[in-house]
Amino acid sequence: MVSRCKLSSVSLLAILALSICFLNVYPAVAQADQTASKLQVASSAVEHAFSAVLDAEKAGANVTSLLDQYNGAADLLAQAENAYRTGDNHTAVNDADAALPIAQQVTTAAQPAQESASTSAQTAFWTTVAFTVEAAIVFVLVLFLVWRRFKRSYINSLSDAKPEVNSQ
Amino acid sequence: MKLEGYKLVFVAVGLIGVLLIASPALAGVIRLPGGEQFSELYLLGPDNMAANYPFNIAAGQNYSVYVGVGNHLGSSAYYVLYVKFGNQTDQMPNATPGTPSILQPLYEYRFSIQDSMNWESPLTFSASNASISGNNSQINTLQINDVAFNVDKPAMWDSNSTTFKYQLLFELWTYNSQSSAISYNNRYVNLSLNLTKTG
Repeated sequence: MVSRCKLSSVSLLAILALSICFLNVYPAVAQADQTASKLQVASSAVEHAFSAVLDAEKAGANVTSLLDQYNGAADLLAQAENAYRTGDNHTAVNDADAALPIAQQVTTAAQPAQESASTSAQTAFWTTVAFTVEAAIVFVLVLFLVWRRFKRSYINSLSDAKPEVNSQ
Repeated sequence: MKLEGYKLVFVAVGLIGVLLIASPALAGVIRLPGGEQFSELYLLGPDNMAANYPFNIAAGQNYSVYVGVGNHLGSSAYYVLYVKFGNQTDQMPNATPGTPSILQPLYEYRFSIQDSMNWESPLTFSASNASISGNNSQINTLQINDVAFNVDKPAMWDSNSTTFKYQLLFELWTYNSQSSAISYNNRYVNLSLNLTKTG
């Protein structure tokens, strides 16, 4: 009976010790996972923002101010990653959280900039095409008129040079 | 010259003229290949010149360099610059297959640069908790821009170079919007260091 009691108490103590270890370790693991997850979300948002800025740039938008704003988010993400590597999860989470809205703002601002630049680029292209066609038509017409005048004067000069035939 | 000859001259002038007039519109449709596209990575000494690079380092002392990146990719680019720390046995990146060093990054910069523009930043570093014992040395903490990293990096005495050789490695990675991934750009610079005093 005594040995059974001893065994039970030892088992109870072992379970208690394991529980304490688990409770001590688990929050740290959970916190690290949470930080990694926040960093991943911020990283995706920053990459997505850059793709949006790049699309706007390809459409012909001036992205200088967008990239300045974007670099703020990228720098915060880098600081968050650096803090995470040192084990400073608190700073890492704060910096990642701060980077996220800036990246989202950049993405939001890049989309209308891209649309506006696309519209402007299309308008500019068709205006250029219209002017090109008009200018080409005018040029060909002028050249044709010059050619006709040249041809007439050429024939006239040939006629003047031709000896007259006198009938007898 | 006969009239037919003059006619050919007029037709040729007409065609050349039409092509010249249409060139602005054609430029919007035809994309000519640009020049070589690449990124540059450079390291400068404390005076922002390619001189006086830190080499002999003592624990507890601050050393500074400038690291810079130039974008010649034809469009804006998003870069990640990793700073790694190794010893004489750690493998450097391999330029032939374009693989990065297997060392884990300590510090990183993230930034974007417009085409034909440069980015440059100062970097201050110091070693601490360092020890030298016979032919063995060890740096336990490396501080980069006021962020302290536990590195626990040993280095054996190198009798060829007569140094305890450590290396501060800068690797350039770029974001590829097609694959939505950051990949190694096959550009790195390496700063060799010799631990001389433990402070």
